[in-house]
Amino acid sequence: MKKGVLSTLKYIFFSCCVFAALFPIVWVVLSSFKSNAEILSNGISLPESFDFKGYTDALSISPILSYFFNSVVIAIISTVLNVFFLAMAAYVFARCEFRGKNIIYFILSLAMVIPMTALLHPVYNVVQKLGLYDTKTGLIMVYTALNLPMSLLIMRGTFLSIPRALEEAAYVDGAGFVRTFFQIMLPCAKGGLTSAAVLAFLGSWNEFTFALMLTSGQEARTLPLSLSYFTAQFSFNYTAMFAAVTIAVIPSILVFAVFQEQVVSSLTAGSIKG
Amino acid sequence: MKKGWIPVFLLPAVILFLLIYAIPLGMVFVTSLFEYRLSSPEMRFIGFTNYIRLSGDPDFYTALKNTVLWIIIQCTVHVALGTFLALLLYKKPRGWKFIRTAYMVPNIISNAAIGMIFLNIFNPQFGVLHSVLKAIGLEHLTRNWLMDANTAFPSVTFVWVLFAGYTTTLVLAQALSLDEAVLEAAKVDGATSFQTDVFVVLPLLKKIIGTTMVMAATYMLQMFDLIYITSGGGPGKSTTNLPLLLYGVYKGENNYGYANTIGVVIVIVGIIFMTIINRSLKVNDEDY
Repeated sequence: MKKGVLSTLKYIFFSCCVFAALFPIVWVVLSSFKSNAEILSNGISLPESFDFKGYTDALSISPILSYFFNSVVIAIISTVLNVFFLAMAAYVFARCEFRGKNIIYFILSLAMVIPMTALLHPVYNVVQKLGLYDTKTGLIMVYTALNLPMSLLIMRGTFLSIPRALEEAAYVDGAGFVRTFFQIMLPCAKGGLTSAAVLAFLGSWNEFTFALMLTSGQEARTLPLSLSYFTAQFSFNYTAMFAAVTIAVIPSILVFAVFQEQVVSSLTAGSIKG
Repeated sequence: MKKGWIPVFLLPAVILFLLIYAIPLGMVFVTSLFEYRLSSPEMRFIGFTNYIRLSGDPDFYTALKNTVLWIIIQCTVHVALGTFLALLLYKKPRGWKFIRTAYMVPNIISNAAIGMIFLNIFNPQFGVLHSVLKAIGLEHLTRNWLMDANTAFPSVTFVWVLFAGYTTTLVLAQALSLDEAVLEAAKVDGATSFQTDVFVVLPLLKKIIGTTMVMAATYMLQMFDLIYITSGGGPGKSTTNLPLLLYGVYKGENNYGYANTIGVVIVIVGIIFMTIINRSLKVNDEDY
């Protein structure tokens, strides 16, 4: 009897968690199909018909499309660079012995706990001095760096878990250090690379603060910034705003849906084995 | 031959670290001691003048109080919620994988989107809260939740405090990897499932819970986007934290030296919290 009550309570709690997590998104997606009048008369009613006017409006009144492409370019390039550079570093930390190795690794991993919003102005300064203010290249550089600590942690763990015999065989066969890395180790570390890439992509795709600080024009602004556009200029076209939010969240949800096992295992690998 | 490649392989990561972390961190500390603004780009050494101004700035105390309060709330309520869910899920009840995945969703979409969504959920004309109150006849309770001095702080907190997907995922993974034999032993000794959870499982999860607390504290310490989009730090300064204060000084006053003084305080608050969490949970035990 007591068991039944507890089990019911447990499932009520589960339902609350799932509801809290999914309701906001479902609400936004449904609202994006309602007309402005429907939204204003009752915020929680279901749409009367499925109308894509919000989406066409969002595309025509805001530069959301060009921001979307900026986001795609910036997120993909920074993810590739991040995984490539950090795989190289992680491999060296996992396999080579050299003076100062532990201290360098410790300092690099401190990046995990450096509060980046404290560094807003100096990062702006660095980007500006390099002539990269308001460019995609500037954001790519910053995003490649922002995902540094997590990728390093994940990929070092991955390389450590690969048996040494594989490389030794390659060396015996006469392969050099670089060839061994690219032809033997990278393919073996595919799981870790994917995990790091998924997290880096989500991080870059979703980043807001530095995009706000480091860009001013349509050349480089990213999708998250286009959303605040809707609060300022078009605050009366709610349908279009809900459509814009939907456009911004769909790619993240798709990437997560496809790679969720990877995200979960990489998060765990990164923080537990540490 | 092998040795020669080591610096080459490290170089890109080290350059990135220097450019985006180390040099900016050094610049924050150094420029906080200078008179340094847009109007007078020539930097002038002024010692601790910026710090003295900060110590007399009432906005600073509001922002510091809010930052500390939010870190504490996140490290307790948020982490406890995520851990509690993980403790229920590690026994693999029906649907546990789905629950874990669904609960992660708010954590993987952009904060800009979450901010926009909650801006609308709290909208006093058509927001969810208003619509629900209206439907149950309590319309008179509706207010501009994010702009009312009495409700702004809890409303903004609500935007992130429930979404503990990362905590749940991490604690759950650790709980699933626990040695079955330990749990069996507790059962043999006559412990109820509740006793096992509290006295056996929880202590074994101390380290990972410490990690999630560090993550929660770091996250709140640098929180900017969700506040900027929802309340903008208002009304007045009631929901301003240190990063928002820094941004305001930087954009509004163009006073870089003073903005970076706030940056130094953010770094110091971070160090203090890391130390407290590590000490109280002994996260950095040798086995770490």
